[in-house]
Amino acid sequence: MFLTRSEYDRGVNTFSPEGRLFQVEYAIEAIKLGSTTVGIRTPEGVVLGVEKRVQSPLLEASSIEKIMEIDTHLGCAMSGLTADARTMVDHARVTSQNHAFTFDERIKVESVTQAVCDLALRFGESVHDEDAMMSRPFGVALLIGGVDELGPQLYHTDPSGTFVRYDAKAIGSGSEAAQSELQDKWHSQMTLREAQVLVLRVLKQVMEEKLDQHNVQLAQVTTDKGFHILDERALKEVIDTM
Amino acid sequence: MSTAIHLPRSGFDFSNANRNAFLEGKGVKMPKATSTGTTIVGCLFKDGIVLGADTRATAGPIVADKNCEKIHYISESIRCCGAGTAADTEFVTALISSNIELHALSTGRKPRVVTAMTMLKQRLFQYQGHIGAALVLGGVDATGAHLFTIHPHGSTDKLPYVTMGSGSLAAMAVFESGWRPSLEREQALQLVVAAISAGIFNDLGSGSNVDACVITATHTEMLRNYVMPNVRVEKERKYGFRRGTTAWTRENVRDMVVSEESRPIATAASGEAMDTS
Amino acid sequence: MPDMSAIANPQQRQFNPYAENGGTILAVAGADFTVIAGDTRQSEGYSIQTRYASKVFRLTDRAVLAVNGFAADGNMFVKKVKQRLEWYRHNHAKDMPLRSIARLIQTMLYAQRFFPYYVYNILGGIEEDGTGAVYSFDPVGSYEREACRAAGAAQSLLQPFLDNQIYFKNQTAARGYSHPAHLPLPDVLSIVIDSFTSATERHIEVGDGLEMYIVMAKGQTLPDAVTNLLPEELPSTGDGERVFVLKRDLKKD
Repeated sequence: MFLTRSEYDRGVNTFSPEGRLFQVEYAIEAIKLGSTTVGIRTPEGVVLGVEKRVQSPLLEASSIEKIMEIDTHLGCAMSGLTADARTMVDHARVTSQNHAFTFDERIKVESVTQAVCDLALRFGESVHDEDAMMSRPFGVALLIGGVDELGPQLYHTDPSGTFVRYDAKAIGSGSEAAQSELQDKWHSQMTLREAQVLVLRVLKQVMEEKLDQHNVQLAQVTTDKGFHILDERALKEVIDTM
Repeated sequence: MSTAIHLPRSGFDFSNANRNAFLEGKGVKMPKATSTGTTIVGCLFKDGIVLGADTRATAGPIVADKNCEKIHYISESIRCCGAGTAADTEFVTALISSNIELHALSTGRKPRVVTAMTMLKQRLFQYQGHIGAALVLGGVDATGAHLFTIHPHGSTDKLPYVTMGSGSLAAMAVFESGWRPSLEREQALQLVVAAISAGIFNDLGSGSNVDACVITATHTEMLRNYVMPNVRVEKERKYGFRRGTTAWTRENVRDMVVSEESRPIATAASGEAMDTS
Repeated sequence: MPDMSAIANPQQRQFNPYAENGGTILAVAGADFTVIAGDTRQSEGYSIQTRYASKVFRLTDRAVLAVNGFAADGNMFVKKVKQRLEWYRHNHAKDMPLRSIARLIQTMLYAQRFFPYYVYNILGGIEEDGTGAVYSFDPVGSYEREACRAAGAAQSLLQPFLDNQIYFKNQTAARGYSHPAHLPLPDVLSIVIDSFTSATERHIEVGDGLEMYIVMAKGQTLPDAVTNLLPEELPSTGDGERVFVLKRDLKKD
């Protein structure tokens, strides 16, 4: 019996005759609805920046958490269904701690990214099982930044479980414009401060609201100080130098 | 009223046995006796007996003596190899050796191997295995060449070739494949060397050198360290220590030479002088 | 009438899954090398099971593990460590560093806390900073980094000797001089050889053969005195650390 396209996009583990998994593709679409998120790698470290959509003047902007610490040397920024990212970050944190416990060393950025992507693919497992863990793909993309023995690195993951390393990457609703801007402005010898400014400039271009220290968030992972989120005062300082 | 004098009775004193058993039950470690681990053998040949022994003595896994003597003297033509608790084998063979000598003196005859065997087994049986001696007794007397094994509880065997100790299986394997009646002296000696070597190299309780003893009606030849296949290798380094290596907390140097100055006392010039003429 | 003696005199029987297979291992760390050695005799009671059973194993280009105690557990443990190292290589695209192997061994041993591997481990090799290192373990995973360690049957004979010769314990230096923190390789090898010939003399479970693994830090070459002993070089994956093996006979009695 012939199945129409609309029937192929039901199951998360059924390919269409054209070889597509629609649920995964829809999940990737979901990210394009998310707020813009930018990451830049420099020789000194990785800078992550997000736009916080403050939809109401009554909303407490500081409660929007789109950049999270994975370990002292690892951070991540997200776009899409941020609730899904919690599961992923939790998994990344456990993986990182486990690695440190078992091997007495910091996990590599690629390894923790791989672990997160392994989790992203679990939606297909035991669909008919009552206690199946996941019923659908994650609707979120991550920019995972970190430093290890190979230096500062930036990785992008998407709901298909694919991960790619970038020098600079933008995801979310404004990602197309942001990415071409990054391609224009990024160079290999950027300082950390230059990267901070570039992240903000890119975000400013794609944001509808006027950018200030309340509606963006900036974090960085450096070789000597590790992961830290810039507080509003530090953030304002960068904004003022733009 | 006179004080009673208690003289120790002859033989072993077992008065601490119950106390020690109690303490051992409580987990107190008892001191361990030196064991001769050991491979000892004996075999008959055309003209007499060849006895053999290794020379390792152990205390647990530690080598206590690398070149001990396990072939004990009983009389000129009777010798006894000992395995088991070193002190027991040494003591019991020395005691029987003394008694055999006294026996020979009082009978005016050369001692017989069965006599030594009987004295040994009776003593071991009397002590119900507490004297941990496993022996190979061999010799030549008026009635011919005789070879016995004596177990710690007092049982004996009379056989043409025997082995005892922890290396007895290794040694017996050699005897079983190589022993024949009426061997020549040299053949028997080489067989004994091979049997002891089997023990030395395949049994961890045995080691170092081969001792042998050839007893014939006319002559007894003790071949101490007949083969030495395990000479210690030279060390790579010298381990001397510089004078002053050992630290000290206090230094006290004493002059051990007592110097004395003496001066003759002047006598009166008019007095009687000693006649030195 | 039922037999009441069984009730009056209860008996307990137990299966003992362990054996003690003798032998001794030892490791000494230098400034830019490490020597890990072990004899090759395997025994049970007064019997020799084999005169050649390795107790020292190369794990990576810069790590060597010596295992002593219950041989079956030791061999299985080495096999499992090697498997974990391969998984790590696949997962993380690099060889596991020495201190990570040390930590891994701790977690693997402690995982068996209530049915332990009956083995004493000594891990030797080169750290990521290029220094020689020795890690020693107890059967349930307690570990520390040291400059030298002996374990196994003759530990009580060898450790005091190493303390004196490597750490210069109970030796006061001459006025105006101090003891070196690390000995050169030829000296260490001599001490290791003498350790084993001496243990062979006085311990019945030590003997037959000696295997010495030498791990050289990146860019270091063997001194002539050692090259003359004709060590075998094991193939390595890169141009980093190098591993050599020296074999000697020990007395067989």
